[in-house]
Amino acid sequence: MLRYLIRRIGRGILTIFVSVTLVFFIVRAMPSNPVTLMISPQMSEEAQQALMVSYGLDKPKSVQYVLYMKELLHGNLGTSFSKRIPVTEYLAEKLPWTLLLLAAVMVIVIFVGIGVGLFAAAHKGKLADRLINIVVTMGISVFIPFMAFLLLYIFAFKLRICPTGGAYTPPKGAGLSFYLDVGKHLILPAVALSITNLANAVLYTRNSMIDVLHEDYIRTAYSKGCDSKRVMKVHAIKNALIPTVTVIGMQIGIMVGGATVTETVFSWPGIGRLVYDSVNALDYPVLQGAFLVMAVAVVIMSLLTDLVVAWLDPRIKLGG
Amino acid sequence: MKERKGFLYYFVRNRNGMIGLIGVSIIVAIGLIGPIFIPKPDGYTADILIAPCAQHWLGTDNLGLDIFAELVWGARTSLYVSILAMLISGVIGIPLGLLCGYTRGWLSEVIDALIDIFMTLPMLPLMIIVAAIMGTSITNVALILGIFSWPQLARVTKNSTLKIREMPYIEAANCLGLSKPRILFKHVLLNASGPVFVDMTLVMASAVLTEASLSFLGLGDPTTWSWGTILKRAWGQNAVISSPNPWWWWLMPSLCIVVYVVCFNLLGTALNDCLNPKGRE
Repeated sequence: MLRYLIRRIGRGILTIFVSVTLVFFIVRAMPSNPVTLMISPQMSEEAQQALMVSYGLDKPKSVQYVLYMKELLHGNLGTSFSKRIPVTEYLAEKLPWTLLLLAAVMVIVIFVGIGVGLFAAAHKGKLADRLINIVVTMGISVFIPFMAFLLLYIFAFKLRICPTGGAYTPPKGAGLSFYLDVGKHLILPAVALSITNLANAVLYTRNSMIDVLHEDYIRTAYSKGCDSKRVMKVHAIKNALIPTVTVIGMQIGIMVGGATVTETVFSWPGIGRLVYDSVNALDYPVLQGAFLVMAVAVVIMSLLTDLVVAWLDPRIKLGG
Repeated sequence: MKERKGFLYYFVRNRNGMIGLIGVSIIVAIGLIGPIFIPKPDGYTADILIAPCAQHWLGTDNLGLDIFAELVWGARTSLYVSILAMLISGVIGIPLGLLCGYTRGWLSEVIDALIDIFMTLPMLPLMIIVAAIMGTSITNVALILGIFSWPQLARVTKNSTLKIREMPYIEAANCLGLSKPRILFKHVLLNASGPVFVDMTLVMASAVLTEASLSFLGLGDPTTWSWGTILKRAWGQNAVISSPNPWWWWLMPSLCIVVYVVCFNLLGTALNDCLNPKGRE
């Protein structure tokens, strides 16, 4: 177990390192210079140079890289070019919103996705199953902005029961009414973002449940005299969920950054939108910080996924 | 020859596959032939935001341009992007997957780790940055999509190569003293091509989704029509939540994207079922 954890964490750190390095050099390949966005034409040549020096952009890229990595190990992600505040502070302001969105997506996917998947498996080949299959095929192929548009059109424009964007109605309130307000703003982006995952969860749960029900141990359980409720609960569902958990886990990790489009459509103040805004502002430190957060999220989620799968399936011996 | 006949036999009887094939054929036909008859929508006219009618089948946008014409030109862009992206990811991913699956030792380990790491990188944000660097042209978008979708293809190639590597006929080819590249490309690749081919149709489907996302975020090509670009402009004018609602403006491009992706996915799944003896039911 310990050896397994060490190996996994080692690989995780390697992934994070590659991601950070890649982004460091990619952002510096951008054709325009971030300083030109910050300075006014009246600024003298020396003042421009001083600005470059203060951001460390005058040094060669390799030196910048070593400096950046050194600071990173001390937990310092630098200062945002556009906001002039520490990147950690900026990210800390955005991250909770993304996590809130992801938590909502996860709740939808786990409860609705697995529920519908099990229902479809139980009614395999019947009309309900075939209808679910059609919806799922569409769901996997759906273009997220389209989903967002449909939801906005129906719930925000026609029915007027949901707000069209943002995370809360300004000014930022407090207490119960604030939480209710955030909840109202959360529904549409969460549903739009969860569609693809939801479809995958249904598909994997259904197919693996159908496979599991043919396994020998299910027959054994029945012949031991277990009633079907117990067979389902103890023997079938736990095993059937393994592929579902793997898929959901990987996708949730990737979604920390993959939510860019959804967050843009709904003006949700999360990490995905931050990436988009920072590209336009040429804000290198923020981009680097955002990618660090995303890489860490993916690594943590994939480790968690493996642990959950190992718990679900005692045959898997971690470190074996 | 027998194997091939078997595949066609099952494919023709696969309803989803036939729907997908017909859909893909129609899209290809529209994308290839449509722009010959329909001039490229450009500039502006006075017929602003007209609902679908006899003259403008799918209505017009805020510049008075015909949505149907924009969609036809968009189909060509989608095809161009997805074919180019598929080819590029194939050129990178298939040889790497072959090498990773066929060789043993450090090379295989390195490629395997590379695939693993690339699969976990946040692709869309990375593509956004690279698209911003390379500038907005439709060929650049296709290049980016190809460069970033190879890991998936490499993994599929690797997995199916791993199985074939152990086959007796590969051993026989080795005993005959055939050269490595000949064994790899003629004997291994040809036999591994089923799942690889299937995955390439799926790459084409996801390429269109990603292209639409990039165009929607304003990183597409402003000089050509793409379904994502139409959506971006509609979104920029608040078309979804403005009253009276020009629903045709945002609904039609979205539907085109969904139909395109569904057709390619159906085709890919059906190919998979028919090439794989287990899936033939």
